[in-house]
Amino acid sequence: MTRFLLPALAAVLVLSACDSADPDPQPVPLTPSIVTDLVADPTAGRNPTTGAPIQTGRFTLYSLRENRVVLSYTEADAAVRQRDSASTAWDIGFQGQRIIFNGGTSGPGSAAAQLVEATFGEVTEAPADGYLADGANAACSSGFVLCPVSGQGWYTYVPFSADPNDGGFLSPRAGRTIVLRNADGATYSKVRITSYYQGGLTDAQITPTSPSRYYSFEFIHQPDGSRNFQTTTPQP
Amino acid sequence: MPRLARLLLALVLLPAAAAQPAVRTDTLDLDAVVVTATRTERALEDVAVPTTVVGAQTIEAQGAARLSDVLAAVPGLFLFDDHGSGLQVQGFAPDYTLILIDGEPVVGRTAGTLDLSRLSVAGVERVEVVRGPTSSLYGSDALAGVVNIITSRPREGVSGQARLRGGSFGTTDATLSLGLGRGGDAAGAWAVRVLANRYASGGYDLTPDAFGTTAPAFADWTGDVRARVALGRSAVLRLGARAAVQDQRGASESGDRLTRYDDTGERTDWSVHPELDVPLTGRLRLTASMYGARYVAGLRQREIGTGAVTFASDFDQRYTKAEAQLDALWSTRHATTWGAGATDERLGGDRYGDGVEPSAQQVFAFGQHLWAPSRTVEVTASARLDAHTAYAARITPKVALLVRPADAVRLRASVGSGFKAPDFRQLYLSFTNAAGGGYSVFGSEQLADGLAALAADGQIEAVFIDPTGLGAIRAENSVSVQAGGSVQPVRGLTLDAGVFHNDVRDLIETQPVAQKTNGQFVYGYFNLDRIYTRGVEAQATWRPAGALHLALGYQFLQARDRTVVDALADGTVFGRDPDGREYRLSLGDYGGLFGRSPHAVTLRAGVSAGGWTTSARTRWRSRYGYRDLDGNGVANRPDEFVPAYAVVDLTVTRSWDRVTPVVGASRVTLQAGVDNLFGITRPTLVPSLPGRALYASLGFSF
Repeated sequence: MTRFLLPALAAVLVLSACDSADPDPQPVPLTPSIVTDLVADPTAGRNPTTGAPIQTGRFTLYSLRENRVVLSYTEADAAVRQRDSASTAWDIGFQGQRIIFNGGTSGPGSAAAQLVEATFGEVTEAPADGYLADGANAACSSGFVLCPVSGQGWYTYVPFSADPNDGGFLSPRAGRTIVLRNADGATYSKVRITSYYQGGLTDAQITPTSPSRYYSFEFIHQPDGSRNFQTTTPQP
Repeated sequence: MPRLARLLLALVLLPAAAAQPAVRTDTLDLDAVVVTATRTERALEDVAVPTTVVGAQTIEAQGAARLSDVLAAVPGLFLFDDHGSGLQVQGFAPDYTLILIDGEPVVGRTAGTLDLSRLSVAGVERVEVVRGPTSSLYGSDALAGVVNIITSRPREGVSGQARLRGGSFGTTDATLSLGLGRGGDAAGAWAVRVLANRYASGGYDLTPDAFGTTAPAFADWTGDVRARVALGRSAVLRLGARAAVQDQRGASESGDRLTRYDDTGERTDWSVHPELDVPLTGRLRLTASMYGARYVAGLRQREIGTGAVTFASDFDQRYTKAEAQLDALWSTRHATTWGAGATDERLGGDRYGDGVEPSAQQVFAFGQHLWAPSRTVEVTASARLDAHTAYAARITPKVALLVRPADAVRLRASVGSGFKAPDFRQLYLSFTNAAGGGYSVFGSEQLADGLAALAADGQIEAVFIDPTGLGAIRAENSVSVQAGGSVQPVRGLTLDAGVFHNDVRDLIETQPVAQKTNGQFVYGYFNLDRIYTRGVEAQATWRPAGALHLALGYQFLQARDRTVVDALADGTVFGRDPDGREYRLSLGDYGGLFGRSPHAVTLRAGVSAGGWTTSARTRWRSRYGYRDLDGNGVANRPDEFVPAYAVVDLTVTRSWDRVTPVVGASRVTLQAGVDNLFGITRPTLVPSLPGRALYASLGFSF
């Protein structure tokens, strides 16, 4: 036992010596950030004649790189909205069931995304290619990368009962992970939507009266520019 | 002479013999004659496809009032709650089973379900159930099977019945029947039977915390007339007529629980069925029939307080059919049946567009040949052509084989096709749901016009599928294999077993065809999915003595969507546990189509002695998928299933014969029973399980 212990101790000593002497940082694990109840333009009822939801139509814009809201849908000042939305400060935006990325037809950034068919944990590395900017998705009539259609984008519409009058709810599609190149065009993130309902309700907890358009999601942002989602190497 | 020839000779030469009273007592169904499987009378044991018969004696011993009560007790059959009590046969939804009264279709389905509790079993002689596709004789809807309610024939002399039944949940059932006939089988002989039935319930509420009723209160009246006249030369004219009216009253609340409603419904349906039966020669017999039926239903939902009508639905279906059938017995080894006819169907209602009253016409022809190459082997081949104005024409074949290697052994195998025509919604619906957010749904016949109208109105943002380039929608169709056999190892014991496999293509599903400017979608109906159902059915019946009767049945069932099976094999279906963790599903996680239990067991016991009859029925079904909670469209998580349950029913009957010297064959019957003895309920999951229900009845017949 001691025969092994001594060289091991020596190695540790040498390594720690190197650490202090050499500034080359060691990789550290990446852990998911959790966002709960990001408010994305809740409706104020429905138009009685058309049935269309009454809403502001404004997005809440979020920076995955800085883990903060850049611009809330509650901000109605056109000048402020123009300043913040026409920037590369945000990566991902939410309004109702629509999710946009800061690039293409959605913003001035270089963001592009894809929906990977794998669980959040299974996506250990961002794909090398396959990213689309908003407006470039020919498979979706609105062009959004995450097509706001049940079973095509991030959600499935699940009816409460066989009677369509009972309505339904949006359930995030299991095994679908959003992977994006951020607005900086240099770093990657992966995102999993966990709930569309206030309080992060799971599917079984949702009722017809649960307030919707409150996003809960988890994400990992890789700041070092690699496609690795397991560890990151701190930049000097 | 082979039994086939004996039976068919009897059929051809002595049609009036069928008018004899067909009441059998304790022999139950052993000597039963059935008509549904081949459209000709045959002994049950010599039918080459899986057939079950429930006779009037069994129906009475079980205390059944409605067809749903009768069929729930048959092994391998399940009631299926969806806009009424529908029937699940071999794992198929209710719209895949044809329901007939004396061989003619009952019309009036809601969302595909024909509510079996609509049909009284008063005046019914037997109920025949054929499993497996029978479209080669009956056309559309006979894909999973056929249920044929055979009414009892009016008798010679004076006869009558009065029966009064009352029970839990304010349920009452009253029947009065009178028959008169004279002349036996001679020309000019006639017989008529008139029956009236009232069935009512106070409804029930399994969720007292929430406003509204689980099942509404209703009163249902049925009138039924059966008559026959012998015209001479063995020709017989028969008439069947039936009318039913129902009023129902319930209550409900809106999804957000803010608004309360009164729900009322009215339903009227009637049918008339004259039939002429003429022996042309010693070997040829012609049956010509007309059938007319109408079903009118209206639903109203009114907001309590304001009285404003918040939902209204009206439906009016008219069905007319003319048909002729020719039966020929060539020799002791060959018999042929031909038939041809035409139907006309008309629809009214508020979901088919303004002023649009869709109609459809159909012509059909079928043929069947029975061939007995030897004493032990019989082959039955049949085929039918259906040409319809709204969907592609099709030819449906079937061939069945029966082998009798020994007296006590029967082996059966059949291969056939079934189909289900697109239903009215799938063809003609033109519906925009303002309450549900403004989505629109169009039937295949309406899609191009409906979409064009929305586009002209500026409501369409994008079109995904151009409907003008689509061909005619196809009927859903299946290929089915059934095989099995029965053996009587010792006297009194019968073992039956069979396997089935149904492969169904072109299932009609909705799919978005366009997006509206309000963000909602326009849906159309398309031939999309493929499913299969397969399983094993086994039954042991034991009658050690005349008084005792035991039957144990088991069914194994797999009903699966092929697309889902393929995706599971590819590992591209994901689940999410209640904590939000996601994982890949394997085939073993798949609970199959919703509402299908993989395992089911039924145990029936009956004993009769000294005027007493006791009947006990137990049916157990394993868990079944009910809903999807994790958005993958598949039942995979424990909370997505209805847990297994068993229901036990018990009935005791005491009868006294010849109670009065005034009429010879009089009988008084006193009955008491309990349905669902242990009071099993699944409040929001199985609304048709109201809990323990007691009942008692008193009957007099002569």
